[in-house]
Amino acid sequence: MPLYYFDINDGARTTHDEEGQPFADPGAARDAAIAVLPDIARDELLDSDRRSFTVNVRDESGRHIFRATLSLVTEWLDPAGRPPN
Amino acid sequence: MANPMICKLEHGASLTDEDKAVLEAVCAETRRVPPRVDLIEEGENPRFVQLVLDGFACRYKMLSDGRRSIVAYLVPGDFCDLHVAILGQMDHSIATVTGCTMVQIPYDTVEKLVSRHPRIARALWWATLVDEAVLREWLVNLGRRTAARRLAHLFCELRVRLMSVAHDGENGFHFPFTQEELSHMLGVTPVHVNRVLQQLREDGLILLEDKMLGIPDVARLEAFAEFDATYLHRARRTPEFA
Repeated sequence: MPLYYFDINDGARTTHDEEGQPFADPGAARDAAIAVLPDIARDELLDSDRRSFTVNVRDESGRHIFRATLSLVTEWLDPAGRPPN
Repeated sequence: MANPMICKLEHGASLTDEDKAVLEAVCAETRRVPPRVDLIEEGENPRFVQLVLDGFACRYKMLSDGRRSIVAYLVPGDFCDLHVAILGQMDHSIATVTGCTMVQIPYDTVEKLVSRHPRIARALWWATLVDEAVLREWLVNLGRRTAARRLAHLFCELRVRLMSVAHDGENGFHFPFTQEELSHMLGVTPVHVNRVLQQLREDGLILLEDKMLGIPDVARLEAFAEFDATYLHRARRTPEFA
């Protein structure tokens, strides 16, 4: 099976995947890229207030074939109700 | 080589030379099992208690959608299914991870060990209680720690468990688990395991090459993992009430 590489940015750091993982086809690699986002969000939201997580998938030739981003968007709706920092 | 099961049980009770000879005799017949083979499957009614003398194994459960959850790992000296002598049917499966040297101990032998040798009975009871404590810690791990700390915690625990039976591995040991197995253990995807391993490496907390794990600074890794070895109960209770 061909290898696919998953470069992940969590808002603070980027990990470049040097090892790669085997998947049957690009579709399966896409599914894996989407599935990892909740894992990352769960960890990082526990540890920090980072709000945007991106996975870039490369194939064996180094071509970027897929990107998935998970973002959390928050806003105070009434400035008067916002707690002081 | 010292028998790892005896090394381990000595943490649970003051075994006499006679106790140790009895335990040694129980391990006389060994068999070799290849890697990644089921030792026993959920639903079976085993006739033996199995013991790992060499290698790594794991307890797991399968979900209906085909996913696997590894709920414990076994190292040399660990009994696979001591409780099955009492409970009967297996409520989970056990498989080898690496090639393993195993011992099969018939139930009536276990019964005799317990009824005739009070210190061995105490040590086996201790081993069962420690297994429970490990599970409690693992519940906290899965529920409340990030995957990076979860994995770091696993390394710290494995180090203590291996050291208490092999008396080496202070700063590193053979770590045979694949990223897929780690993902079954940690409850995250293999892609996330890969990322977390890389971060632990980049942060200088671990070295991992050719299935050899290195821990350059044990105190630092333990602090990162919030690891406190108390739950492994390697310090024997004094005085003993056997």
